[in-house]
Amino acid sequence: MGKKDNQVLEKKLRVKNACGLHTRPATMIVQCLQKWQAEVAVSYKKKSVDAKSILNLLLLAVPKNGEITVTAKGVDAEQVLLELSNLFADYFGEKK
Amino acid sequence: MYKVADLVAEHGEPLGLELVAGKEGLKRKILVPEVHRPGLGLANFTKSHAVKRLLIFGKVEIEYLRDLTSEERFYRLKPLLSPKTPAIVVARRYRPPKELVTLCEENHLPLFRGSMTTMKLLKKLTGHLSEAFAPSVSCHGSLLEVFGMGVLIQGASGVGKSEAALGLIERGHRLISDDIVKIKRGEGNVLEGRGVELTRHHMEIRGIGIINVANLYGIVCVREKINLDIVVKLEVWDDTHFYDRVGLEDKTIDILDSKLPFHLLPVKPGRDVVLLLETIALNHRLKQMGYHSAKEFSNKLLKTIARKKDGKKR
Repeated sequence: MGKKDNQVLEKKLRVKNACGLHTRPATMIVQCLQKWQAEVAVSYKKKSVDAKSILNLLLLAVPKNGEITVTAKGVDAEQVLLELSNLFADYFGEKK
Repeated sequence: MYKVADLVAEHGEPLGLELVAGKEGLKRKILVPEVHRPGLGLANFTKSHAVKRLLIFGKVEIEYLRDLTSEERFYRLKPLLSPKTPAIVVARRYRPPKELVTLCEENHLPLFRGSMTTMKLLKKLTGHLSEAFAPSVSCHGSLLEVFGMGVLIQGASGVGKSEAALGLIERGHRLISDDIVKIKRGEGNVLEGRGVELTRHHMEIRGIGIINVANLYGIVCVREKINLDIVVKLEVWDDTHFYDRVGLEDKTIDILDSKLPFHLLPVKPGRDVVLLLETIALNHRLKQMGYHSAKEFSNKLLKTIARKKDGKKR
C-alpha cells in the first residue's frame, strides 16, 4: 500500500463548448471515468455531485465558460484528471 | 418451391377452388407471384405474353370465348397454355368451355373453377402468392408480445432468453415462439414473426425440460404471429463495455433489409430483465406516440443552460 492510495487531487476546468455541459459531454465524462477506480466529484457553484452519474452531472447545468472543480480521490486520481482535462480541452469533440 | 398443390392445400377452400381438369399438373411449380387475365391474348395478340403467370378467366374472357367457333377457340387458347403456366382459374363458377377442358387435360395443366368474382379472386390470389414468395429468414431467439409490441429477444445460448420469456408470460404477456422464429417481410416492409409448427408454444427450460406454455398458462398467453417492433439482445454484463445510458441515439438492426429499433441489454444478477423488457416496450410505445423521453429531457436541459448563459438567475 503506497501513500498514493488515498491521495486527493483537485483541478479546475472550464467548459468551453457552445452548448455547455449537456447530455453528450456528460456521457463522455461518465464513459471516460468508468474504467478508473477513483472516486470523482464535480462541483459547480457550491453544488457537488458524483461525476460517474450522468443525471448528477446534468443537474449542474453548467453553461459555456462555466468553471467546475473536479476532485479525484484514489490511486489513479492523476490519470483521471489528465484524461478529463484532455476531454475539456478538446471541447468534447465538438466544433471549436 | 411453391407448387399448385400447396396453393390449393392452403387456400383452396376459402377461394372455393374446384378442380375440373389436369389433375396430374398439380405438382406444377409456381415460378412468379403473379396472376394474369389473358384478355388480349385471347384476341390473338400473344406478343410478350407472360407464360409464368397463373391465368384467371373472368366474365369477359368466358363471354368472348362463347362468341367464337369451336375451332377458333382451340386456335386461340392453345398459344396461351405454356408448360410453365402453373394453373388456370375460371372465376364466378363459370363452366369452362369444353375446348379449354380438353386442352388442359391433354397438357396436364390444372384447371379450376373458383367461386369468387374475378376481381376478388385476382386480389386474393395475388395476396396469397406474394405472401408465399415474401423473403423470409429463420433466427434464433424468443418472440413475445409485450404491451402489444412485438419484441424479439436475442442473445447467446444460456444468457436467459427463455427465462426472460417465461417471466414475461407469467406477467400476462404473450408468447409467439421460443428458440426459433421465422421472420417474413410482408407488404410495406412489415416484418412478421411466427413460430415453427412443431415447436410452436413449446419452451425448453434448463432444469425443467420441455413445457407447453399454451397448456400451462392458458391460451390467452400465446398467439400465432406478430409484427416485429423491437429487437433486444441480452448480453452478459461486460465491465469494459459502455452501455447506452442516455438513449438519445436510436440504434437499429437490419433484418431482411428492414431497419428495426435495437437495444443491447446487459444482464447480471439483481437486474430484473423482465421489468427492463417491459420498460423498453413501453418507452418504445411512447416514442411511437411522439414522446421521446431522452430527447425531451435533453431539450429541457439545454434550455436551462441557455437561461444561465443570459446571466439571469434561475
